[in-house]
Amino acid sequence: MRAAGFLLLATLAAATDATGQLRVVTSTTDLADLARQVGGDRIRLRHISEGYQDPHFVEAKPSFVLEMAKADVWAFIGLDLEIGWMSLLLNGARNPKIRPGGSGYLDVSKFIPVIDVPSGAIDRSQGDVHPLGNPHYWLDPANGRRIAAAFAAKFTELDPGGAADYARNLAAFEAALARAAEEWAPALASLSGKPIVAWHTSWRYFAGYTRVNIVGFMEPKPGVPPSPSHLAGLVATMKRTGAKVIVMEPYYDRKTADLIASKAGASVLVLPPSVGGEKGLDDYISVLRRNITSLARAVE
Amino acid sequence: MDPYFRGDVFIGVSDLEGVAIEQAYLTATSLPWGIEARLGRFLAPIGKQNTTHRHDLHTVEYPWVLQRFLGPEGLRGTGLYLSKVLAPFGFYQELQLTATDRLGEDDESLVTSEPINTRLGALGYSARLRNYLDLTKHANIEISGSIATGKRAQPASGLGGEATAVGVRQTLAGIDVTYRWRPLQQGLYRSLIVQAEWLRQINGRFRAPNGVEYEGPTRDFSGGYLFARYQTSRRTYWGARIDRVADPAAGGDPLTAVSGYYQFYPSEFSKLVAGYERVSGAGSAAYGRVIFQATFALGPHRPHPF
Repeated sequence: MRAAGFLLLATLAAATDATGQLRVVTSTTDLADLARQVGGDRIRLRHISEGYQDPHFVEAKPSFVLEMAKADVWAFIGLDLEIGWMSLLLNGARNPKIRPGGSGYLDVSKFIPVIDVPSGAIDRSQGDVHPLGNPHYWLDPANGRRIAAAFAAKFTELDPGGAADYARNLAAFEAALARAAEEWAPALASLSGKPIVAWHTSWRYFAGYTRVNIVGFMEPKPGVPPSPSHLAGLVATMKRTGAKVIVMEPYYDRKTADLIASKAGASVLVLPPSVGGEKGLDDYISVLRRNITSLARAVE
Repeated sequence: MDPYFRGDVFIGVSDLEGVAIEQAYLTATSLPWGIEARLGRFLAPIGKQNTTHRHDLHTVEYPWVLQRFLGPEGLRGTGLYLSKVLAPFGFYQELQLTATDRLGEDDESLVTSEPINTRLGALGYSARLRNYLDLTKHANIEISGSIATGKRAQPASGLGGEATAVGVRQTLAGIDVTYRWRPLQQGLYRSLIVQAEWLRQINGRFRAPNGVEYEGPTRDFSGGYLFARYQTSRRTYWGARIDRVADPAAGGDPLTAVSGYYQFYPSEFSKLVAGYERVSGAGSAAYGRVIFQATFALGPHRPHPF
């Protein structure tokens, strides 16, 4: 009887493990949604940072270690976006599969044409410059396609039996993105060349896609909080260029932006940089749609 | 180092030791069952702050109880460290075990007739169980317990030859609690950490033979601290700490300290601190001191300590 009980327990345990799902952990919600679009129900998904949180400053909580210890895939933005916390979690997870060189280590930036790669010497006097280039690439839909394709390739490598599903899901996502792009094309056209101010360099890829002209940043240098002298210069720049909108993420303090906007005769537009950055924005395409259409209305 | 080991070396510069290797160890990264092993010289995982390097402290200096019980440079040794992460109750637990050549570093003026760590039982051993729990997405708590034991050189006279000390067992036991709050969306601007730690130093009773006078501790000592730090803006933090410890160097006379400080971060890579501390007891007149501290980071961006 005892042996039968043991067998039953062992069988149940085996059944749980035999779900065949890949355990995927991503650093951001955007990667998580793109992985979900491609992986569907063949993957079990977790993400570390939230969409309304600055991904540079995630706390390396031990509870994240438990998630990563069981992961088959660790997908991250790269280009030092997660430099403040990723190594602590990877070391704590003690999971060879997701360490550098492991089968599940997926640096998504390797599939992206990176911009803002510094040329020449860089040092701390330039602020928190990312020496490998600007990591906020997911806000360009072309890069969204590249990320999804990278997930399809990785999932197929680790789970060849799901290759057809991954290919089908990838095609469906690309089609949905193409339909959405047609829908927001008029808004996109109205943005071309419009001057705006951004808080951080995180909108550079988005600006490349929408062709808005970022004439200044609230941060004097990447990662350095705005100083009074910089803000005074920024007001002058906004007046000179006619910039009427300051775009910022929900995790920055908008009091300073409101003050500058009032002095420059502009308005502040809080845009979600990531999936989950606002309630109801639960997928990648919704985030792009929300940002493009909102910005188009704001610059009219 | 290679696919199986990581190497870490920490070189410190201090008035006390000059340029010295604080820690240097190999970490085996591919052991089965999620076990992590380190081999080398490292800070013992006893208490909350002993393994924190000074520049990463939330306060200006180490709490008095750590300075008095573990030494001004912390408790460290050369040996083996093993760690295993557990989650039998659904939250994070980690068991850390160490075996080192000795329990901390003895005063260089103390000379024993023979090395005190010639037997396995006299080496330094420590165990720490960390328990970490997310209370919400924004708040978490860690409650941990530690114990360390080993023989230490204690002063004695009448030993003959050049010996000035004997080896006596000392055990350290403690508990620490850390509460953290950081709202995810406003996390750049607001945060709170509250931490308390209590340590007890248990000293073995040495039976001095005839003609030998034991001058080491003949009682046990306890101490602890409570500190809190609140972030008021992206660049500024305010903190305060209360320390109380039965000071072994003053025969157990209690030392009490109250301090407050202001931290200003011009950027992520530099920190300026101004503080004031009032210290009383431990057999000396009360005094106050003003503290200034500047910290800056060079080289690649380091992970943010948690």
